[in-house]
Amino acid sequence: MDMRDADTARLLWESGEWGKDMYHHELKATVPRRILECSAVSREINFTSQEEIRQFRLEQRVFLAGACIEEWFFDFGFVIPGSTNSWQQTIESAGEDRMLAAEDLSGRMTIETTFLDGRTMLFKTLVRIFYE
Amino acid sequence: MGLLTLLRKLKRSDQEARILVLGLDNAGKTTILKKLSEEDITHIMPTQGFNIKSLMHEDFKLNVWDIGGQKSIRPYWRNYFDQTDALIYVIDSADRRRMDETGVELGQLLEEEKLAGIPVLIFANKQDLLSALSSDEISQGLNLHTIRDRTWFIQAASAKTGEGLQEGMEWVVSQINDGAGGGAESKN
Repeated sequence: MDMRDADTARLLWESGEWGKDMYHHELKATVPRRILECSAVSREINFTSQEEIRQFRLEQRVFLAGACIEEWFFDFGFVIPGSTNSWQQTIESAGEDRMLAAEDLSGRMTIETTFLDGRTMLFKTLVRIFYE
Repeated sequence: MGLLTLLRKLKRSDQEARILVLGLDNAGKTTILKKLSEEDITHIMPTQGFNIKSLMHEDFKLNVWDIGGQKSIRPYWRNYFDQTDALIYVIDSADRRRMDETGVELGQLLEEEKLAGIPVLIFANKQDLLSALSSDEISQGLNLHTIRDRTWFIQAASAKTGEGLQEGMEWVVSQINDGAGGGAESKN
């Protein structure tokens, strides 16, 4: 997964390859606080699948102090066997006057992404965001 | 410039629009989309599946699906036809050897029931190359004037320089905004 300033495509954060431990642990992402000043941010997830998947879909929720503040569902549908795929979302900022301060967000915000085949959960990742 | 700017121009009552980007391998589909988002285009690998760009503006979502064009992947294209609002077909204008092949693939797509009547934009890509055929030559070579069941448009473009990309995408957005379907007049 990576995050970029959507206007300039400048890379702000990159997770590198997720290993097996992503299934068991909360991941930590330290993101430069200037990301909050971007008028739009893009988040990209790359994944590979050995198997064909018929009804691949994803549910992504952003939690702040345990409360869900953003929700994004996406239906990929068919996944080609042996494929490498990417999904990039571009999210516009709520506007300067509606932005929360980095101090209030840091360490209190998590992005939970659940990958499913129809109604069967395949796996879930949880990334806690810190601003520096 | 870019997809987000285009998205802001979409006026629709629907909650979502879906654009499908197809074409032979190495036509430049992924490069076009990356260039539109001002991303780095120097290290693009052949797409071995799909690349999706989802953009949200207010409550409206635009999803752009770029599917790999290798021969082994083409049989899977049909899995991605559902609910498509516009098709973008990308041609490597300098790949004269495979001009017939790309014409056959395009012809088959236009016969697909699930894609019936949806507007099609053809990007005559790689116009920065000296050996590139012009959009007129491609239009004639592939008999595009025989397309009568939908609106279509061919745009000379270069993903490398950015030439023609915005113009092409503006056309797509205008078609989606018009809700253009079968029977509408063709533009060329």
